Amino acid sequence: MSVLTPEQVSPTATDGGKRDVWWMTWFFPAWYGVFGVIICLLTRVTPPPRPDVTAAGKVAFFAQHHLTIQIGFTVLLVLLGGAAMTNGLVAYQMKRMSVGSAFAYGYLGGMSVGAIPGFLLVTVCFLTAAFRPDRNPELTSLLYDLGMLSYNGSLGCFSVAYLVLAIAILYDRNEIFPKWFAYISIWQIVTEVIATQMFVFGSGPFAWNGSIAFWLAVVVFSVWLGALIVLLRRAAAAEPVDAPALD
Amino acid sequence: MDLQSRAITWVWGLLVLITIGTGWLAPAAHTNHLAQASAPITVLVLGLALIKSRLIIRYFMEVRRAPRWLRLTTDGWLAALFGAVLVSYLI
Amino acid sequence: MTQTDPATQLESTTLPGDINMWVMVLGDMVIFAGYFVIFMIYRSMNRQEFLHAQQHLNIAIGVTNTVILLTSSWVVALAVQAVRAGEFEKSTRLVLAGGVGGIAFMVLKGYEWASKIAAGHTNSETFYSFYYVITGVHLLHVLIGLIVLGVLVRELRNPAKRRPWMAETGATYWHMVDLLWVIIFALFYVMR
Repeated sequence: MSVLTPEQVSPTATDGGKRDVWWMTWFFPAWYGVFGVIICLLTRVTPPPRPDVTAAGKVAFFAQHHLTIQIGFTVLLVLLGGAAMTNGLVAYQMKRMSVGSAFAYGYLGGMSVGAIPGFLLVTVCFLTAAFRPDRNPELTSLLYDLGMLSYNGSLGCFSVAYLVLAIAILYDRNEIFPKWFAYISIWQIVTEVIATQMFVFGSGPFAWNGSIAFWLAVVVFSVWLGALIVLLRRAAAAEPVDAPALD
Repeated sequence: MDLQSRAITWVWGLLVLITIGTGWLAPAAHTNHLAQASAPITVLVLGLALIKSRLIIRYFMEVRRAPRWLRLTTDGWLAALFGAVLVSYLI
Repeated sequence: MTQTDPATQLESTTLPGDINMWVMVLGDMVIFAGYFVIFMIYRSMNRQEFLHAQQHLNIAIGVTNTVILLTSSWVVALAVQAVRAGEFEKSTRLVLAGGVGGIAFMVLKGYEWASKIAAGHTNSETFYSFYYVITGVHLLHVLIGLIVLGVLVRELRNPAKRRPWMAETGATYWHMVDLLWVIIFALFYVMR
Protein backbone atom coordinates (compact mmCIF):
# COMPACT_ATOMS: atom_id res chain seq x y z
CA MET A 1 0.00 0.00 0.00
CA SER A 2 1.71 3.16 -1.10
CA VAL A 3 -0.25 5.67 0.98
CA LEU A 4 2.99 6.73 2.63
CA THR A 5 4.68 7.63 -0.66
CA PRO A 6 2.37 9.89 -2.65
CA GLU A 7 5.21 10.99 -4.88
CA GLN A 8 6.46 8.41 -7.34
CA VAL A 9 10.12 7.85 -6.55
CA SER A 10 12.01 4.80 -7.73
CA PRO A 11 13.87 3.45 -4.73
CA THR A 12 16.74 2.13 -6.78
CA ALA A 13 17.24 5.11 -9.02
CA THR A 14 20.83 6.12 -9.39
CA ASP A 15 20.11 8.17 -12.45
CA GLY A 16 18.53 10.76 -10.16
CA GLY A 17 20.60 12.62 -7.64
CA LYS A 18 24.16 13.74 -7.40
CA ARG A 19 27.06 11.36 -7.03
CA ASP A 20 28.64 12.95 -3.95
CA VAL A 21 25.26 13.01 -2.20
CA TRP A 22 24.84 9.32 -2.99
CA TRP A 23 28.25 8.54 -1.47
CA MET A 24 27.24 10.28 1.76
CA THR A 25 23.80 8.63 1.67
CA TRP A 26 25.46 5.21 1.71
CA PHE A 27 28.03 6.32 4.25
CA PHE A 28 25.25 7.21 6.72
CA PRO A 29 24.00 3.65 7.47
CA ALA A 30 27.54 2.29 7.14
CA TRP A 31 28.79 4.63 9.86
CA TYR A 32 25.82 3.88 12.12
CA GLY A 33 26.40 0.17 11.58
CA VAL A 34 29.97 0.47 12.82
CA PHE A 35 28.79 2.72 15.66
CA GLY A 36 26.22 0.08 16.61
CA VAL A 37 28.85 -2.66 16.72
CA ILE A 38 31.02 -0.44 18.91
CA ILE A 39 28.37 0.54 21.44
CA CYS A 40 26.53 -2.77 21.60
CA LEU A 41 29.08 -5.50 21.10
CA LEU A 42 32.44 -3.99 21.99
CA THR A 43 32.05 -1.36 24.68
CA ARG A 44 28.74 -2.71 26.10
CA VAL A 45 27.24 0.70 26.80
CA THR A 46 24.04 -0.18 24.93
CA PRO A 47 22.09 -1.73 26.57
CA PRO A 48 23.65 0.01 29.56
CA PRO A 49 25.11 -1.78 32.57
CA ARG A 50 23.07 -1.33 35.74
CA PRO A 51 23.11 1.81 37.86
CA ASP A 52 22.23 -0.11 41.03
CA VAL A 53 25.53 -1.93 41.59
CA THR A 54 28.28 -1.27 44.09
CA ALA A 55 31.68 0.19 43.26
CA ALA A 56 33.05 -3.36 43.24
CA GLY A 57 30.46 -4.31 40.66
CA LYS A 58 31.49 -1.41 38.44
CA VAL A 59 35.17 -2.33 38.75
CA ALA A 60 34.22 -5.87 37.74
CA PHE A 61 32.40 -4.49 34.67
CA PHE A 62 35.51 -2.69 33.50
CA ALA A 63 37.66 -5.72 34.23
CA GLN A 64 35.37 -8.01 32.26
CA HIS A 65 35.16 -5.79 29.17
CA HIS A 66 38.57 -4.20 29.45
CA LEU A 67 39.91 -5.19 26.06
CA THR A 68 36.81 -4.60 23.97
CA ILE A 69 36.20 -1.22 25.66
CA GLN A 70 39.67 -0.10 24.71
CA ILE A 71 39.38 -1.37 21.15
CA GLY A 72 35.87 -0.10 20.63
CA PHE A 73 36.28 3.39 22.01
CA THR A 74 39.70 4.09 20.49
CA VAL A 75 38.25 3.16 17.10
CA LEU A 76 35.31 5.45 17.83
CA LEU A 77 37.67 8.32 18.62
CA VAL A 78 39.15 7.97 15.17
CA LEU A 79 35.79 7.57 13.47
CA LEU A 80 33.71 10.11 15.33
CA GLY A 81 34.15 12.67 12.60
CA GLY A 82 31.81 10.42 10.69
CA ALA A 83 29.01 11.50 12.98
CA ALA A 84 29.52 15.09 11.88
CA MET A 85 29.36 13.93 8.28
CA THR A 86 26.07 12.12 8.81
CA ASN A 87 24.65 15.24 10.44
CA GLY A 88 25.96 17.25 7.51
CA LEU A 89 24.04 15.08 5.05
CA VAL A 90 20.77 15.72 6.88
CA ALA A 91 21.61 19.43 6.97
CA TYR A 92 22.25 19.33 3.20
CA GLN A 93 18.78 17.91 2.57
CA MET A 94 17.31 20.46 4.96
CA LYS A 95 18.96 23.24 2.99
CA ARG A 96 17.02 22.04 -0.05
CA MET A 97 13.79 22.74 1.85
CA SER A 98 11.85 25.92 1.20
CA VAL A 99 12.10 27.13 4.81
CA GLY A 100 15.60 28.53 4.57
CA SER A 101 19.01 27.47 5.82
CA ALA A 102 18.67 28.56 9.44
CA PHE A 103 16.88 25.34 10.31
CA ALA A 104 19.63 23.23 8.73
CA TYR A 105 22.28 25.05 10.73
CA GLY A 106 20.16 24.69 13.86
CA TYR A 107 20.01 20.95 13.34
CA LEU A 108 23.71 20.71 12.64
CA GLY A 109 24.58 22.81 15.69
CA GLY A 110 22.27 20.94 18.03
CA MET A 111 23.46 17.50 16.97
CA SER A 112 27.11 18.54 17.09
CA VAL A 113 26.86 19.93 20.60
CA GLY A 114 24.92 16.85 21.62
CA ALA A 115 27.72 14.54 20.48
CA ILE A 116 30.01 15.79 23.22
CA PRO A 117 28.01 14.48 26.15
CA GLY A 118 26.28 12.14 23.72
CA PHE A 119 29.18 9.78 23.22
CA LEU A 120 32.46 11.59 23.56
CA LEU A 121 32.23 11.86 27.34
CA VAL A 122 31.45 8.18 27.89
CA THR A 123 34.27 7.32 25.49
CA VAL A 124 36.80 9.30 27.50
CA CYS A 125 35.43 8.22 30.89
CA PHE A 126 35.41 4.54 30.06
CA LEU A 127 38.84 4.63 28.44
CA THR A 128 40.17 6.41 31.52
CA ALA A 129 38.61 3.78 33.78
CA ALA A 130 40.04 0.95 31.69
CA PHE A 131 43.45 2.64 31.61
CA ARG A 132 44.29 1.90 35.27
CA PRO A 133 42.42 -1.20 36.49
CA ASP A 134 44.00 -0.84 39.93
CA ARG A 135 42.55 2.63 40.49
CA ASN A 136 40.63 3.47 43.68
CA PRO A 137 37.20 1.76 43.19
CA GLU A 138 35.36 4.91 44.21
CA LEU A 139 37.02 6.80 41.37
CA THR A 140 36.23 4.02 38.93
CA SER A 141 32.64 4.15 40.17
CA LEU A 142 32.56 7.88 39.47
CA LEU A 143 33.81 7.37 35.90
CA TYR A 144 31.16 4.70 35.35
CA ASP A 145 28.34 6.93 36.59
CA LEU A 146 29.63 9.99 34.75
CA GLY A 147 29.95 8.04 31.51
CA MET A 148 26.51 6.45 31.79
CA LEU A 149 24.65 9.55 32.91
CA SER A 150 26.11 11.69 30.17
CA TYR A 151 25.64 9.03 27.48
CA ASN A 152 22.03 8.16 28.33
CA GLY A 153 20.81 11.30 30.02
CA SER A 154 22.25 13.92 27.70
CA LEU A 155 19.60 13.28 25.13
CA GLY A 156 18.08 16.65 25.93
CA CYS A 157 20.84 18.20 23.82
CA PHE A 158 19.33 16.56 20.79
CA SER A 159 15.82 17.80 21.54
CA VAL A 160 16.43 21.17 19.91
CA ALA A 161 17.83 19.49 16.81
CA TYR A 162 14.74 17.29 16.53
CA LEU A 163 12.48 20.28 17.08
CA VAL A 164 13.98 22.37 14.28
CA LEU A 165 13.93 19.31 12.03
CA ALA A 166 10.22 18.75 12.76
CA ILE A 167 9.30 22.40 12.22
CA ALA A 168 11.32 22.58 9.01
CA ILE A 169 9.64 19.47 7.60
CA LEU A 170 6.15 20.70 8.48
CA TYR A 171 6.66 24.05 6.79
CA ASP A 172 8.71 22.78 3.85
CA ARG A 173 6.90 23.20 0.55
CA ASN A 174 9.51 21.22 -1.41
CA GLU A 175 8.53 18.02 0.38
CA ILE A 176 12.09 16.84 0.86
CA PHE A 177 10.95 14.63 3.74
CA PRO A 178 7.34 13.43 4.29
CA LYS A 179 5.35 15.11 7.05
CA TRP A 180 5.03 11.95 9.10
CA PHE A 181 8.77 12.04 9.74
CA ALA A 182 8.28 15.36 11.51
CA TYR A 183 5.91 13.64 13.92
CA ILE A 184 8.35 10.79 14.54
CA SER A 185 10.98 13.41 15.35
CA ILE A 186 8.57 14.89 17.89
CA TRP A 187 8.29 11.46 19.55
CA GLN A 188 12.06 11.59 19.91
CA ILE A 189 11.71 14.85 21.83
CA VAL A 190 9.21 13.23 24.17
CA THR A 191 11.57 10.34 24.94
CA GLU A 192 14.40 12.81 25.54
CA VAL A 193 12.28 14.71 28.05
CA ILE A 194 11.56 11.47 29.89
CA ALA A 195 15.29 10.73 29.92
CA THR A 196 15.70 13.57 32.43
CA GLN A 197 14.39 11.15 35.04
CA MET A 198 17.59 9.09 34.69
CA PHE A 199 19.35 11.61 36.88
CA VAL A 200 16.90 10.91 39.68
CA PHE A 201 16.43 7.15 39.79
CA GLY A 202 19.02 4.45 40.40
CA SER A 203 16.63 1.65 39.55
CA GLY A 204 13.18 1.05 38.21
CA PRO A 205 11.50 2.06 34.96
CA PHE A 206 13.02 5.55 34.86
CA ALA A 207 16.63 4.63 35.56
CA TRP A 208 19.18 4.75 32.76
CA ASN A 209 18.48 1.06 32.06
CA GLY A 210 14.77 1.32 32.81
CA SER A 211 11.92 -0.07 30.73
CA ILE A 212 10.47 3.37 30.05
CA ALA A 213 13.50 5.67 30.12
CA PHE A 214 15.73 3.34 28.13
CA TRP A 215 14.05 0.42 26.36
CA LEU A 216 10.95 2.19 25.05
CA ALA A 217 13.16 5.10 24.03
CA VAL A 218 15.53 2.78 22.14
CA VAL A 219 12.61 1.36 20.16
CA VAL A 220 11.46 4.87 19.21
CA PHE A 221 15.03 5.85 18.30
CA SER A 222 15.43 2.77 16.09
CA VAL A 223 12.23 3.63 14.23
CA TRP A 224 13.44 7.22 13.80
CA LEU A 225 16.89 6.23 12.58
CA GLY A 226 15.57 3.53 10.23
CA ALA A 227 13.07 5.97 8.74
CA LEU A 228 15.77 8.64 8.34
CA ILE A 229 18.07 6.26 6.44
CA VAL A 230 15.27 5.30 4.05
CA LEU A 231 14.17 8.92 3.60
CA LEU A 232 17.70 10.14 2.90
CA ARG A 233 17.91 7.65 0.05
CA ARG A 234 14.58 8.85 -1.30
CA ALA A 235 15.61 12.48 -1.05
CA ALA A 236 18.89 11.76 -2.80
CA ALA A 237 17.11 9.95 -5.64
CA ALA A 238 14.58 12.73 -6.05
CA GLU A 239 17.18 15.45 -6.49
CA PRO A 240 17.75 16.30 -10.17
CA VAL A 241 21.32 15.61 -11.28
CA ASP A 242 21.59 19.04 -12.80
CA ALA A 243 20.18 20.97 -9.84
CA PRO A 244 22.35 23.97 -9.04
CA ALA A 245 24.80 23.50 -6.18
CA LEU A 246 23.63 24.85 -2.83
CA ASP A 247 25.57 27.75 -1.40
CA MET B 1 -28.13 20.79 14.11
CA ASP B 2 -27.33 18.21 11.47
CA LEU B 3 -27.29 14.48 12.09
CA GLN B 4 -23.54 14.20 12.63
CA SER B 5 -23.43 17.06 15.13
CA ARG B 6 -26.35 15.62 17.02
CA ALA B 7 -24.66 12.21 17.26
CA ILE B 8 -21.45 13.86 18.47
CA THR B 9 -23.38 15.76 21.14
CA TRP B 10 -25.16 12.66 22.38
CA VAL B 11 -21.80 10.89 22.63
CA TRP B 12 -20.38 13.80 24.61
CA GLY B 13 -23.28 13.66 27.01
CA LEU B 14 -22.80 9.94 27.54
CA LEU B 15 -19.05 10.35 28.06
CA VAL B 16 -19.57 13.04 30.71
CA LEU B 17 -22.19 10.95 32.46
CA ILE B 18 -19.93 7.90 32.63
CA THR B 19 -17.03 10.05 33.84
CA ILE B 20 -18.93 11.64 36.70
CA GLY B 21 -20.49 8.30 37.61
CA THR B 22 -17.18 6.47 37.83
CA GLY B 23 -15.68 9.35 39.78
CA TRP B 24 -17.65 8.12 42.78
CA LEU B 25 -15.87 4.75 42.59
CA ALA B 26 -12.38 6.20 42.86
CA PRO B 27 -10.22 5.43 45.91
CA ALA B 28 -9.71 9.15 46.38
CA ALA B 29 -13.46 9.77 46.50
CA HIS B 30 -13.77 8.30 49.97
CA THR B 31 -10.92 9.41 52.14
CA ASN B 32 -12.55 8.70 55.49
CA HIS B 33 -11.44 5.09 55.38
CA LEU B 34 -8.67 3.09 53.76
CA ALA B 35 -9.55 2.07 50.24
CA GLN B 36 -9.86 -1.60 49.49
CA ALA B 37 -8.93 -3.25 46.22
CA SER B 38 -11.92 -4.51 44.31
CA ALA B 39 -11.80 -6.64 41.21
CA PRO B 40 -15.47 -6.12 40.29
CA ILE B 41 -15.18 -2.35 40.53
CA THR B 42 -11.95 -2.32 38.55
CA VAL B 43 -13.34 -4.55 35.83
CA LEU B 44 -16.36 -2.25 35.63
CA VAL B 45 -14.14 0.84 35.50
CA LEU B 46 -11.94 -0.65 32.78
CA GLY B 47 -14.96 -1.78 30.79
CA LEU B 48 -16.42 1.71 30.94
CA ALA B 49 -13.04 3.22 29.99
CA LEU B 50 -12.98 0.89 27.00
CA ILE B 51 -16.44 2.07 25.98
CA LYS B 52 -15.45 5.72 26.42
CA SER B 53 -12.29 5.19 24.38
CA ARG B 54 -14.12 3.48 21.54
CA LEU B 55 -16.77 6.23 21.48
CA ILE B 56 -14.07 8.89 21.20
CA ILE B 57 -12.30 6.97 18.44
CA ARG B 58 -15.45 6.14 16.48
CA TYR B 59 -17.43 9.38 16.85
CA PHE B 60 -15.01 12.20 17.64
CA MET B 61 -12.14 10.87 15.50
CA GLU B 62 -14.69 9.75 12.90
CA VAL B 63 -13.16 6.31 12.51
CA ARG B 64 -16.72 5.06 11.99
CA ARG B 65 -16.57 6.19 8.41
CA ALA B 66 -12.86 5.57 7.93
CA PRO B 67 -11.28 2.84 5.78
CA ARG B 68 -11.39 -0.67 7.15
CA TRP B 69 -7.69 -0.82 7.98
CA LEU B 70 -8.06 2.08 10.38
CA ARG B 71 -11.15 0.65 12.04
CA LEU B 72 -9.37 -2.67 12.53
CA THR B 73 -6.15 -1.05 13.76
CA THR B 74 -7.88 1.11 16.37
CA ASP B 75 -10.01 -1.79 17.57
CA GLY B 76 -6.90 -3.96 17.71
CA TRP B 77 -5.13 -1.30 19.78
CA LEU B 78 -8.05 -1.12 22.20
CA ALA B 79 -8.19 -4.90 22.54
CA ALA B 80 -4.44 -5.25 23.05
CA LEU B 81 -4.17 -2.41 25.57
CA PHE B 82 -7.22 -3.20 27.68
CA GLY B 83 -6.48 -6.91 27.42
CA ALA B 84 -2.96 -6.39 28.75
CA VAL B 85 -4.19 -4.06 31.49
CA LEU B 86 -6.86 -6.53 32.59
CA VAL B 87 -4.48 -9.48 32.54
CA SER B 88 -1.83 -7.64 34.56
CA TYR B 89 -4.49 -6.65 37.09
CA LEU B 90 -6.13 -10.04 37.49
CA ILE B 91 -3.04 -12.22 37.52
CA MET C 1 -21.53 -0.37 16.43
CA THR C 2 -21.56 -2.32 13.20
CA GLN C 3 -21.68 -0.82 9.74
CA THR C 4 -24.84 -2.54 8.55
CA ASP C 5 -26.80 0.31 7.03
CA PRO C 6 -26.64 0.19 3.23
CA ALA C 7 -25.70 3.84 2.92
CA THR C 8 -22.38 3.22 4.68
CA GLN C 9 -21.74 0.12 2.64
CA LEU C 10 -22.26 1.85 -0.66
CA GLU C 11 -20.47 5.13 0.00
CA SER C 12 -16.68 5.05 -0.05
CA THR C 13 -14.99 5.46 3.29
CA THR C 14 -12.84 8.51 3.85
CA LEU C 15 -9.81 8.98 6.00
CA PRO C 16 -10.32 12.02 8.24
CA GLY C 17 -7.44 14.44 7.86
CA ASP C 18 -4.39 12.89 6.26
CA ILE C 19 -2.22 9.79 6.61
CA ASN C 20 0.69 11.73 8.13
CA MET C 21 -1.32 12.76 11.17
CA TRP C 22 -2.61 9.20 11.53
CA VAL C 23 0.99 7.92 11.61
CA MET C 24 1.54 10.36 14.47
CA VAL C 25 -1.65 9.48 16.30
CA LEU C 26 -1.39 5.70 15.95
CA GLY C 27 2.30 5.70 16.83
CA ASP C 28 1.69 7.89 19.85
CA MET C 29 -1.11 5.57 20.94
CA VAL C 30 1.26 2.60 20.71
CA ILE C 31 3.96 4.40 22.71
CA PHE C 32 1.51 5.41 25.43
CA ALA C 33 0.13 1.87 25.47
CA GLY C 34 3.69 0.81 26.30
CA TYR C 35 3.79 3.27 29.22
CA PHE C 36 0.40 2.08 30.46
CA VAL C 37 1.32 -1.61 30.35
CA ILE C 38 4.62 -1.01 32.15
CA PHE C 39 2.73 1.03 34.75
CA MET C 40 0.26 -1.84 35.25
CA ILE C 41 3.10 -4.34 35.63
CA TYR C 42 4.64 -2.22 38.40
CA ARG C 43 1.19 -1.77 39.91
CA SER C 44 0.65 -5.52 40.06
CA MET C 45 3.91 -5.83 42.01
CA ASN C 46 2.96 -3.09 44.49
CA ARG C 47 -0.83 -3.21 44.75
CA GLN C 48 -1.33 -1.96 48.29
CA GLU C 49 1.27 0.78 47.92
CA PHE C 50 -0.28 2.05 44.69
CA LEU C 51 -3.81 1.87 46.07
CA HIS C 52 -2.89 3.93 49.12
CA ALA C 53 -1.07 6.43 46.95
CA GLN C 54 -4.14 6.76 44.72
CA GLN C 55 -6.22 7.82 47.68
CA HIS C 56 -4.25 11.04 47.94
CA LEU C 57 -5.11 12.15 44.43
CA ASN C 58 -7.54 14.99 44.03
CA ILE C 59 -10.53 13.24 42.46
CA ALA C 60 -12.48 16.47 42.07
CA ILE C 61 -9.76 17.89 39.83
CA GLY C 62 -9.44 14.53 38.08
CA VAL C 63 -13.14 14.43 37.17
CA THR C 64 -13.22 18.12 36.31
CA ASN C 65 -10.19 17.85 34.03
CA THR C 66 -11.67 14.82 32.29
CA VAL C 67 -14.95 16.63 31.69
CA ILE C 68 -13.04 19.69 30.47
CA LEU C 69 -11.11 17.67 27.88
CA LEU C 70 -14.19 15.73 26.79
CA THR C 71 -16.05 19.01 26.30
CA SER C 72 -13.09 20.51 24.49
CA SER C 73 -13.02 17.51 22.16
CA TRP C 74 -16.77 17.87 21.61
CA VAL C 75 -16.58 21.49 20.49
CA VAL C 76 -13.59 20.77 18.23
CA ALA C 77 -15.55 17.91 16.62
CA LEU C 78 -18.44 20.33 16.08
CA ALA C 79 -15.95 22.81 14.62
CA VAL C 80 -14.99 20.27 11.96
CA GLN C 81 -18.66 19.91 11.02
CA ALA C 82 -18.91 23.70 10.79
CA VAL C 83 -15.87 23.93 8.51
CA ARG C 84 -17.40 21.35 6.21
CA ALA C 85 -20.61 23.36 6.11
CA GLY C 86 -18.65 26.50 5.27
CA GLU C 87 -19.50 28.18 8.57
CA PHE C 88 -16.03 29.54 9.20
CA GLU C 89 -16.82 32.11 11.88
CA LYS C 90 -18.65 29.50 13.91
CA SER C 91 -15.86 26.98 13.50
CA THR C 92 -13.25 29.51 14.60
CA ARG C 93 -15.21 30.26 17.78
CA LEU C 94 -15.57 26.55 18.49
CA VAL C 95 -11.85 25.86 18.03
CA LEU C 96 -11.04 28.80 20.31
CA ALA C 97 -13.41 27.36 22.90
CA GLY C 98 -11.60 24.06 22.59
CA GLY C 99 -8.31 25.85 23.16
CA VAL C 100 -9.66 27.55 26.27
CA GLY C 101 -10.51 24.09 27.58
CA GLY C 102 -6.95 22.98 26.95
CA ILE C 103 -5.57 25.96 28.83
CA ALA C 104 -7.94 25.33 31.74
CA PHE C 105 -6.76 21.73 31.83
CA MET C 106 -3.13 22.80 32.02
CA VAL C 107 -3.80 25.31 34.78
CA LEU C 108 -5.69 22.77 36.89
CA LYS C 109 -3.01 20.17 36.28
CA GLY C 110 -0.31 22.60 37.39
CA TYR C 111 -2.24 23.41 40.55
CA GLU C 112 -2.78 19.70 41.18
CA TRP C 113 0.93 18.93 40.86
CA ALA C 114 1.89 21.82 43.08
CA SER C 115 -0.47 20.73 45.83
CA LYS C 116 0.69 17.12 45.60
CA ILE C 117 4.33 18.10 45.83
CA ALA C 118 3.59 20.44 48.72
CA ALA C 119 1.87 17.55 50.49
CA GLY C 120 5.04 15.50 50.12
CA HIS C 121 4.04 13.17 47.29
CA THR C 122 7.12 13.31 45.11
CA ASN C 123 9.09 11.07 42.75
CA SER C 124 10.28 9.07 45.71
CA GLU C 125 7.01 7.15 45.73
CA THR C 126 6.81 4.73 42.79
CA PHE C 127 3.18 5.52 42.04
CA TYR C 128 3.85 9.22 41.93
CA SER C 129 6.99 8.83 39.80
CA PHE C 130 4.75 7.21 37.19
CA TYR C 131 2.05 9.79 37.79
CA TYR C 132 4.28 12.80 37.18
CA VAL C 133 6.04 11.31 34.15
CA ILE C 134 2.92 10.06 32.39
CA THR C 135 0.72 13.07 33.12
CA GLY C 136 3.76 15.22 32.30
CA VAL C 137 4.22 13.65 28.89
CA HIS C 138 0.47 14.00 28.38
CA LEU C 139 0.68 17.67 29.36
CA LEU C 140 3.38 18.15 26.74
CA HIS C 141 0.93 16.70 24.23
CA VAL C 142 -1.75 19.13 25.41
CA LEU C 143 0.69 21.99 24.85
CA ILE C 144 1.51 20.75 21.35
CA GLY C 145 -2.25 20.40 20.78
CA LEU C 146 -2.79 24.03 21.74
CA ILE C 147 -0.19 25.03 19.16
CA VAL C 148 -1.98 22.88 16.58
CA LEU C 149 -5.33 24.50 17.43
CA GLY C 150 -3.69 27.91 17.26
CA VAL C 151 -2.37 27.21 13.78
CA LEU C 152 -5.85 25.99 12.82
CA VAL C 153 -7.49 29.21 14.06
CA ARG C 154 -5.01 31.27 12.06
CA GLU C 155 -5.76 29.31 8.91
CA LEU C 156 -9.52 29.49 9.42
CA ARG C 157 -9.32 33.27 9.72
CA ASN C 158 -7.55 33.45 6.36
CA PRO C 159 -10.10 33.08 3.53
CA ALA C 160 -7.42 31.71 1.23
CA LYS C 161 -6.52 28.88 3.57
CA ARG C 162 -9.75 27.41 4.84
CA ARG C 163 -9.57 23.68 4.19
CA PRO C 164 -11.64 20.93 5.85
CA TRP C 165 -8.58 18.70 5.63
CA MET C 166 -6.62 20.97 7.97
CA ALA C 167 -9.43 21.10 10.52
CA GLU C 168 -9.82 17.33 10.42
CA THR C 169 -6.08 16.81 10.90
CA GLY C 170 -5.85 19.14 13.87
CA ALA C 171 -9.01 17.71 15.39
CA THR C 172 -7.69 14.15 15.07
CA TYR C 173 -4.64 15.10 17.12
CA TRP C 174 -6.75 16.89 19.72
CA HIS C 175 -9.09 13.91 20.11
CA MET C 176 -6.07 11.68 20.66
CA VAL C 177 -5.02 13.93 23.57
CA ASP C 178 -8.51 13.48 25.01
CA LEU C 179 -8.46 9.71 24.41
CA LEU C 180 -5.15 9.25 26.21
CA TRP C 181 -6.37 11.29 29.19
CA VAL C 182 -9.54 9.20 29.51
CA ILE C 183 -7.34 6.13 29.91
CA ILE C 184 -4.96 7.88 32.32
CA PHE C 185 -8.00 8.89 34.38
CA ALA C 186 -9.18 5.28 34.58
CA LEU C 187 -5.78 3.77 35.38
CA PHE C 188 -4.52 6.35 37.88
CA TYR C 189 -7.58 7.93 39.45
CA VAL C 190 -10.42 5.44 39.37
CA MET C 191 -9.38 1.79 39.30
CA ARG C 192 -8.66 -0.06 42.49
